[in-house]
Amino acid sequence: MDIPTLEQLNLSAAFPAISLALGTCLLLLVDLFLPKNRKYLTAWLALGGLAVSFIFNLFAYNSSTTALEGMFIADQFTGFSNIAVIVATAISILLSIDYLKRHQMERGEYYILLLFSATGAMFMAAANDLVVIFVALELLSIPLYIMAAFRPNDARSEESGMKYFILGAFSSAFLVYGAALIYGASGTTNLTEIFSSVEGILATQSASSLYLLAGTALLVVGLGFKVAVVPFHMWTPDVYEGAPTPVTAYMSVVAKLGGFASFLRVMIIALPALALPESTIAVWQTTLWLIAAATLILGNFVAIAQTNVKRMLAYSSIAHAGYILMAVAAAGTAGLGDSAAQAALIYLLAYTFTNLGAFAVAMVLEKTDGSNVTLDDFIGLSRRQPLLAFLMAFFMLSLIGIPTTSGFIGKWLVFQVTLEAGLIPLAIIGVLTSVVSAYYYVRIIVNMYLRENEAAVGDEGEALPGASQYVNWAIYASFAGTLILGLLPVLATNLVNTVNLATMFPR
Amino acid sequence: MENTGLSLTTVTLFLPMVGLTIIAGMALLDAEKNRENFKWVAFAFSILTFFASLLMWANYNSADPALQLVQRNDWLPQYGISYYVGIDGISLLLVLLTTVITPIAVFASFRSHVIHERGREALYYGFMLLLEWAMIGVFVAQDLVIFYIFWEVTLIPMYFMIGIWGSENRVYAAVKFFLYTMAGSILMLLAMLYVGTQAGTFALPEIVNAVQSGAVSFPFDGLFSTQSFLFLGFLIAFAIKVPLWPFHSWLPDAHVQAPTAGSVILAGVLLKMGTYGIVRFCLPLFPEASVAWAPVVGGLAVIGIIYGAWVSYAQVDMKKLVAYSSVSHMGFVVLGIFALNAQGLQGATLQMINHGISTGGLFLLVGMLYERRHTKLMAAYGGIWKALPLFGAISLIVSLSSMGLPGLNGFVGEFTILMGAFGSEVLGFFFALFATLGVILAAVYTLAMFQKVYLGELDKEENKHLEPMHWQEIAVLIPILVLIFWIGLQPVGFFNTMDTSTEAIVNYVQPHIDEIVVENAASVSEAP
Amino acid sequence: MAIDAYIILSAVLFSMGVLGVLLKRNAILVFMSVELMLNASNLALVAFARQWGGLEGHLFVFFVITVAAAEVAVGLALIVAIFRTKQSINIDELHQMEG
Repeated sequence: MDIPTLEQLNLSAAFPAISLALGTCLLLLVDLFLPKNRKYLTAWLALGGLAVSFIFNLFAYNSSTTALEGMFIADQFTGFSNIAVIVATAISILLSIDYLKRHQMERGEYYILLLFSATGAMFMAAANDLVVIFVALELLSIPLYIMAAFRPNDARSEESGMKYFILGAFSSAFLVYGAALIYGASGTTNLTEIFSSVEGILATQSASSLYLLAGTALLVVGLGFKVAVVPFHMWTPDVYEGAPTPVTAYMSVVAKLGGFASFLRVMIIALPALALPESTIAVWQTTLWLIAAATLILGNFVAIAQTNVKRMLAYSSIAHAGYILMAVAAAGTAGLGDSAAQAALIYLLAYTFTNLGAFAVAMVLEKTDGSNVTLDDFIGLSRRQPLLAFLMAFFMLSLIGIPTTSGFIGKWLVFQVTLEAGLIPLAIIGVLTSVVSAYYYVRIIVNMYLRENEAAVGDEGEALPGASQYVNWAIYASFAGTLILGLLPVLATNLVNTVNLATMFPR
Repeated sequence: MENTGLSLTTVTLFLPMVGLTIIAGMALLDAEKNRENFKWVAFAFSILTFFASLLMWANYNSADPALQLVQRNDWLPQYGISYYVGIDGISLLLVLLTTVITPIAVFASFRSHVIHERGREALYYGFMLLLEWAMIGVFVAQDLVIFYIFWEVTLIPMYFMIGIWGSENRVYAAVKFFLYTMAGSILMLLAMLYVGTQAGTFALPEIVNAVQSGAVSFPFDGLFSTQSFLFLGFLIAFAIKVPLWPFHSWLPDAHVQAPTAGSVILAGVLLKMGTYGIVRFCLPLFPEASVAWAPVVGGLAVIGIIYGAWVSYAQVDMKKLVAYSSVSHMGFVVLGIFALNAQGLQGATLQMINHGISTGGLFLLVGMLYERRHTKLMAAYGGIWKALPLFGAISLIVSLSSMGLPGLNGFVGEFTILMGAFGSEVLGFFFALFATLGVILAAVYTLAMFQKVYLGELDKEENKHLEPMHWQEIAVLIPILVLIFWIGLQPVGFFNTMDTSTEAIVNYVQPHIDEIVVENAASVSEAP
Repeated sequence: MAIDAYIILSAVLFSMGVLGVLLKRNAILVFMSVELMLNASNLALVAFARQWGGLEGHLFVFFVITVAAAEVAVGLALIVAIFRTKQSINIDELHQMEG
């Protein structure tokens, strides 16, 4: 076997992710030499590393090549996911700086874990091989287990990390076993090659087709845990509630980004032809749309009952996973893979900005003792902090999907592709549950604007525990993203309009 | 598709946004110091918008059935969506209604106690302008997605207006308003997406042309087929907004809780968005389904007319009475539309304007009484004419206009609608007959209210020393009175403006009336 | 075919692992069950690799082993931390958060 030359490895195509990995390793060393009271420097260096990776990503954006022996794809899908991951990570760092200081958990390792996790997400989006998917998924997840338990001597934070860890490892095992079965059926772990062997396997009617089917199912279970869809969602509320708020914000976005990127790649590149004879619809479509429907219904209805804002946002994030899964399910119809991927990417970017913004505002209201932010904490916010209340209202409207916000653009593209796939019942469930979601999002607006008279007297002008310059920047950035994507969606759709997962390699 | 230059429509549409930006800037700079200035900015820009819309009217050629003052720019080219605005006669009249009602509502807010007490003038007047922007947008949008954006945006300011400056039960009413209307419109979104995906574009005129030429067709096969479901997807959204019986339950709550200006805009313009949507989307896009469903929708409209009138009569709260009377009046509009002939449609369009003016006026009057006595119960009044003769006289005129006295605006609209309904090929005699009953009932409840509040003895001590009318209150009512007489005595100008446009819409539907109605008649005669 | 036996064995081991995670209450035992699942996957991978004769299966196994080691490191650290605060590693006692 030939040893590939550096040129054949085509490292430059993978440079956005590789540079972040290298930069993080370097930062691990640099951090050793930073004095204990100046750990915020690590945060700045981490932001610098992200910026470098972002610049490399711009250069690699329009490429359409593979790297590392076909294990890594550099295309617009990768580039767009990388942008979302980098933006989300940067905003999370801004959220973390003062939070860590306030909770006496300021350690350099935090930022390094964050960057490693982001690297994992970037590799996941680019993975064209089951091995890479697995390794990248672990690189994404393992730092998150630690970060969830990062608050020292806090039982809830440790419990959150433990739960996340057990269910995360559990789901990885499903993923590996599923990958093993698919490998057993097709003889390869490369997604593109799996695609070319699927038809042959189905034609032979051997045990291989059973392996393929079972492998796909286990893969769906494994990835379903990561992106938190029903019935694999039960860890989400506890983990989100217990983890430090910036970590929750980060994992609610980036873990979903990575998970769904892999989900789309596997389903659209490798398995679209996994269909019954003479059918243009992949066999997994029905399963996925049922899961999506269950996710939408459960996520939105249970969220209504929550009074703790972090838990509410946890269920809301489950519900949003359901909307994105609608697009993945639509990809099961022949010819819709690309538009489904585009819709899902736009939705993910829109969700990134909006959800980070919402978590950021919730973090501002959080007291230093780490107690829960409840819906009542929002009462009268529009008097005390008019600007903050306005921004939170805007994020809530975006999560509902009201026009002029990014949330509308995402929902609308997802519904459109679902309709094109002929999944009309799913589309109807989708729109009706978003009315349900309006109920609990609007409740925050009600508390901020409409129930001010019940607020305790003397609250006016009270300093907010979590407010700081960096957090404000993070909130403004999220707001700008939400608004611009809502008014000028063409900026984002232009970035994805040639995403071609399905057609990249001719059949 | 070519991008076009700036059009007058866009200027009119975005003038309120300029005002909103200025208000936002002032609020960010120094909200406390500018407290008294916000209202003037809002008023100035709503007046400017009014003049711009008058310019639109002047530039409108009523002989030309095509869209006019069009502007079209790419918004999301990959998905066939463009910023596409333009007007025909129906749009133009409703834009004018909006630009007349908004300054009135803004000016009427100047003297409102509630706004003074609760403060937040920047928010209040900002929302007014946002609302005006969205309402004009709804009437000029010629692209499905753009229409939907404006349609949904109207929800937000109205929700806050009811919720922040409303009366005791405002939170409940605001949330109910929001969820109710959103539930309706979200199904419309699905139907729009389906239509747009099938047609490959979201530009309404192009889709309508494709439907008429048969290039795109939505299969129709009776009351429950693809086309009918799409029709219903649109219709339910519009019916909730109108509100058509039995979708009306949000309306009394919203009206009773909303501040006066909110009620004026809600009744004056927002409800018309529903009937306008039916005319603009349901009829041209789904002609067969419109014909097939016409008797059902017409029946609901007639039930609404009778029911609204009946319930109005039973009210003790003036605002609730006017709210339920809206259900009745808007039933007339829907009936006129689903007569599916030129007369019915013209009457319906004119009645949209009339209802906006008269009901808006009634809400203003109720608001003025409320400012003086802080109650809306009719039992608390009596003999007000003696205390405030000018006020009583104006109230009499507006009430008579609302109940349709000949010589005033309400009569022209209702009469044309009834003529249309009598002559309709799809509705038949009984619809018109029961609707006529509604006219009589309207006289009963309107006069009953007038009698209880204004006539009789001035026997309550509190009512004897009511503050006389302020010049601002008179100024607000003058445009309403002018319009009441103008439309009542000289409706020709209004009919001319919309003539070609209503004609065009009726022409879309007409061929299918013969087809479907004749077919049904044949199947009836075949049956044993 | 001989390979079926390996696959059946791996499936049995995997199922035992799943049941262990779902039924055991001791964090260490749960953790061991996860390891059992991963190793069942390794067995299947090795068997398939033998069948197909390629390198990919073996490669995958090595990665799984390495990653499992990383997970052990993190997992045991978490268990130790929890034991310090709660004096127990029973996962039923992890119920600070309800809702």
